[in-house]
Amino acid sequence: MEAMAEHSQETRVTGESGADKIQERLQRRHQARAEDAERKKEAKESRSVAEEKSEYFSSTFNAERASIEELLSSCSGADRAVVTQTLEEATVKTLQLQKFLNDSMLFLTQYELRRAQDALQKLLTSSADIREEALPKKKFAFRARSKATDKVSAPPVTDTPAVTDSTKVDVVAPAESVQCCFSNMDNVCVIKTAEEIHKQDVLLTHLTNCKVRLFGSPSTLHMTHIDNCEILCGPVSSSVFVDHCRNSTLAIPCQQLRTHNTTDTQVYLHITSRAIVEDCRGVGFAPFTFSYPTLDEDFIVSGLDRDRNNWSQVDDFNWLAAGTPSPNWTVIPEADRKTNWEL
Amino acid sequence: MGLLTILKKMKQKEREMRLLMLGLDNAGKTTILKKFNGEDVSTISPTLGFNIKTLEHKGFKLNIWDVGGQKSLRSYWRNYFESTDGLVWVVDSADRLRLEDCRKELSSLLLEERLAGATLLVFANKQDLPGALSKEAIQEALALDDIKSHHWCIIGCSAVTGKNLLAGVDWLLDDIAARIFTTD
Repeated sequence: MEAMAEHSQETRVTGESGADKIQERLQRRHQARAEDAERKKEAKESRSVAEEKSEYFSSTFNAERASIEELLSSCSGADRAVVTQTLEEATVKTLQLQKFLNDSMLFLTQYELRRAQDALQKLLTSSADIREEALPKKKFAFRARSKATDKVSAPPVTDTPAVTDSTKVDVVAPAESVQCCFSNMDNVCVIKTAEEIHKQDVLLTHLTNCKVRLFGSPSTLHMTHIDNCEILCGPVSSSVFVDHCRNSTLAIPCQQLRTHNTTDTQVYLHITSRAIVEDCRGVGFAPFTFSYPTLDEDFIVSGLDRDRNNWSQVDDFNWLAAGTPSPNWTVIPEADRKTNWEL
Repeated sequence: MGLLTILKKMKQKEREMRLLMLGLDNAGKTTILKKFNGEDVSTISPTLGFNIKTLEHKGFKLNIWDVGGQKSLRSYWRNYFESTDGLVWVVDSADRLRLEDCRKELSSLLLEERLAGATLLVFANKQDLPGALSKEAIQEALALDDIKSHHWCIIGCSAVTGKNLLAGVDWLLDDIAARIFTTD
């Protein structure tokens, strides 16, 4: 507005030389505009980051990759400590490179991205190979057995070694660790009382033609490789695992039941959540009817809700079709249910 | 200011994280999730499929995915890997028989490219049980010290009593926050 006013005033005052003035003015305007555009362009260029260019990316990436490859190749023939250190360094560098790639993902083309990822993958595999070759992984093994034999063969003379030993007995062999365990039995009748299995983990494994009575409340119950057995158990406060079991009869109250690889087995169940079967065939379910004198007390110990029994709600993990029932398990018809149990 | 910085700023404003909870069956994943959310844990069934919970903690919005651990479900785990910020690996500390299984499953997860950037929290669960292994024993059994590819931490906890659940999740959040949110 101001410029306009000024302009009109000038034309009025200067009269004929006005045309020249206007020309000059227009010229100036044009120049100012051009300068302005130039300035804007410069500003824009200075704002865009040099790092967000694919040339910069590929040169940096390749340089970094080459240095990692060099590190890796220097591993061959070196001794263990050196290899460990070099591998560590290579891993750190690879991770940095991965991060760099991730950060650059936004401005890379699909092709560049894929190539970079392939290269990284190659680096990872080769470093894993070298690690495998130069530093074979120490396999985890339970140690207590050797400790135990140590102790037997060389009884501690002073008190100190005994103390260090006892702190080490954390990792113990599976069979010893499960506090109550029956395995490899044929044609035996096993009876356990409440005192013996109170809040213990119980493991039954490789039993054939056996009768097992567990009176009391275990914490968890594992059963594997059970053939033609009758297993009756008091209330289990958490989970019951059944694996590789066939032609057997089980009666258990529990919070969860996880049945695997089991065929032709009847389960008399009291369950407060839902039972599951996985890779099973011909598993029948019926409500828990077995009873023994101290059952009520054991129910209290286990903390299970006696009024909540979902025995017929079974999820088959191999049968995810909604609507049609799983062919792998059935409800045992009432007429066929076992009603009298021998203790 | 690059585009990446802008994106980071946007994510920071939302302060959203995606946590994926995995582990063998009967490890206690669902129980941890429900306990953390203050729900009843006495009637939990084995998870057929998955659970998702969105909850607010320490000013972050957490999307926690709890996927069933039965053998037949493990092959579906990879469907949940995408854009995971934190991986929570839950171990049943009393289940000595399957520790080797547990180690194998974990180490194959850590090779997964889509989990490459995730922070790993190992919960040595069921510490309230008398037969539970200590967290140091679990650390050795799972060979955690060999992990160089992820930030990791092991915490002994009990989902039933709720002990140490907060400590674990707090560590996880701090580690993720330091990594993905730019500190101004």
